[in-house]
Amino acid sequence: MAAVQARLAAHSEARALVFLADLSAALAVSLDLRQTLSEAVKRIAEFMDAEAASLFLLAEGEGMLECRVCVGPIDIAGLRIPLGQGVVGRCVAENASQIVADAASDARVDRSNDSDTGFITRSLLCAPLSTANGPIGALEVVNKRSGGTFSAEDAEILRLVAAPTSLAINNARMAHELVQQARMKREFDLARRMQKSLLPKRRRDGFPLLGMNLPAHEISGDFYDYFDLADGRIGFVIGDVSGKGLDAALLMVRAASLLRWVGKEGTSPSEWLVRVNEELCQTSLEGRFVCALVGQCDRNGEQVEIAAAGFPPALRYKDGEFTEYLSGGAPLGILPGMSFEANRIDLRGASLYCFSDGLTDVRDAQRQTIGAEGVRALIQRHAGASAEPRLRGMVTELKHLRLVDDTTLLLVERMQAQGPEVLLKRRFPAQAEQMRDIRNRLRSALDDAGVENALRDQLVLVVDEACCNVIRHAYGPGQRGDIDLRVSRDGALLEFVISDSAPAVDPETIKAKPLGECRSGGLGVALMEQVMDEWSLCGMPCGCGNRLTMRKRIGDRDHVGEIRE
Amino acid sequence: MNNGIEKESSAELTLIRLRGEVDLSWSQQVREAVLDAQKLSRKVGVVLSEVSYIDSSGIAALVEGFQNARTKQGGFALVAVSTAVRSVLELARLDRVLPIVADASAIPEAASVPVWKP
Repeated sequence: MAAVQARLAAHSEARALVFLADLSAALAVSLDLRQTLSEAVKRIAEFMDAEAASLFLLAEGEGMLECRVCVGPIDIAGLRIPLGQGVVGRCVAENASQIVADAASDARVDRSNDSDTGFITRSLLCAPLSTANGPIGALEVVNKRSGGTFSAEDAEILRLVAAPTSLAINNARMAHELVQQARMKREFDLARRMQKSLLPKRRRDGFPLLGMNLPAHEISGDFYDYFDLADGRIGFVIGDVSGKGLDAALLMVRAASLLRWVGKEGTSPSEWLVRVNEELCQTSLEGRFVCALVGQCDRNGEQVEIAAAGFPPALRYKDGEFTEYLSGGAPLGILPGMSFEANRIDLRGASLYCFSDGLTDVRDAQRQTIGAEGVRALIQRHAGASAEPRLRGMVTELKHLRLVDDTTLLLVERMQAQGPEVLLKRRFPAQAEQMRDIRNRLRSALDDAGVENALRDQLVLVVDEACCNVIRHAYGPGQRGDIDLRVSRDGALLEFVISDSAPAVDPETIKAKPLGECRSGGLGVALMEQVMDEWSLCGMPCGCGNRLTMRKRIGDRDHVGEIRE
Repeated sequence: MNNGIEKESSAELTLIRLRGEVDLSWSQQVREAVLDAQKLSRKVGVVLSEVSYIDSSGIAALVEGFQNARTKQGGFALVAVSTAVRSVLELARLDRVLPIVADASAIPEAASVPVWKP
């Protein structure tokens, strides 16, 4: 008799294992969770020999359980039970299985449904569904068909079934969340593209303004703009909206269009800010505000008038010297009736840098903000290049640092209508010790110009060789003097000019030795022939000094139009 | 990377380890280091794995060391050549002329006439 019981027990255990494995597999590969769950609940009812089975899920934040799937004579789908109430509510609240042997006499059982439907609940078994984040619902089976009660073994099986069911529900929820996130990302992308499209197009042919905008996040609170005024001058705006994210971005759109609208009338910068401030103050910005700098300049970028509201000081750079122009007033949108002091700036031979505080907040390798000093150093490092490669170079450098805030910069200066752009211009003493620094500068200038690394290294080597020849042979030992290096680019043509004031060298004496020959000397010239497309050496008109011009055609790539990311 | 020369010497072998950018400002020191080492040891290896730049004056120092080794029937090689140095050697077509080995154990006994492998 005992042997038969053991065999039966073993048989039912094996049956339970097969059932669990099948159910887990079905749940794991489920694509349509609703369909899979209703099949699972049906199979659970059959396996447990129950008259009815149901699955309840917790509605987040409501403290209510709702029946999502059920099988049996009565359809209770949609039935809602408060957390903690009834057998199901208690099961979830306590995160523990509940066995009810005699429903009629058990206080836990809420029999209100039975009286409505005529269904009589005799026995119950309920197991919680939970994830790592706590309970999410419950599985319930009602009335053993055989008439008996649910055993501890039944409870164990239901508990085991609950695990893969919870997992499947959780997976489906996460998948749903991912879909939602992807949708939001798409909308953010659209918003970002929309924002970018609000920035003005780069204008050429001597237009005296150039801007760049590097958003720290998906969307930006920064903006810049420029437009023609009726009198032929140009109006410009750079701004920064407080806060980050979508709300700041929406306010930015409003502030930018308001500043453009008022600015286009040609009102003076002070009055321009007064009017925008009045308008912004008329509606609540919920504590948000707008920092902005507005200005007007002539076509040649020589005379500028600016006024600012809570904006970092504009910097004028001329011949290595900086002049700071402090903000004339408080940010826009805080108090009506404010006034904004204006500055007239003589920009002849100078550049004006207007930038959002994102630029001073850029973090260096030590995670320190670069500050006003860092900004000045950045400007100075790139000062040798003409406007476009200069800004491109600054962007490249900033991208190697850490942006914590949107970073926007607007440059005002007289710009060349066309012709070559200067990538590097440098005068230095003709000493071998100078060359390391020159090579570094040349490397980054060529990087900024988009020259690929292998060619860049060859060009750096050849320029170094040429300078060393000036140091060693043109000036010679004990003779002091300077070297002028000028690197420029006209379309796809790079030009390197190295001038000195040493005694004139006879170009006929400059000979390359054959490469691969094991003999020192003359290698520099050979490398120059090898790397450059053409070179020429000529004496200066004054009879003193030499000028070496080397040219190299590089792969033509699209000119960077807008300097933004 | 700071420029630097380190030497490990024995009568058999001297390894000269160069670091940084070998250029006109200190290539003379490199040249002297190589020639001095050749007075001391039968074999000399110049380790170039940490050299990020070399100009023709640096190359000239290496060429001179190689020529000196040939005259004296000593061993000479460039050891663990960095990509930057290899590019310059290739550009100067000297990569097939100067002996280049992966590690010090492969430095030849005597500098021979290079085998041209096209």
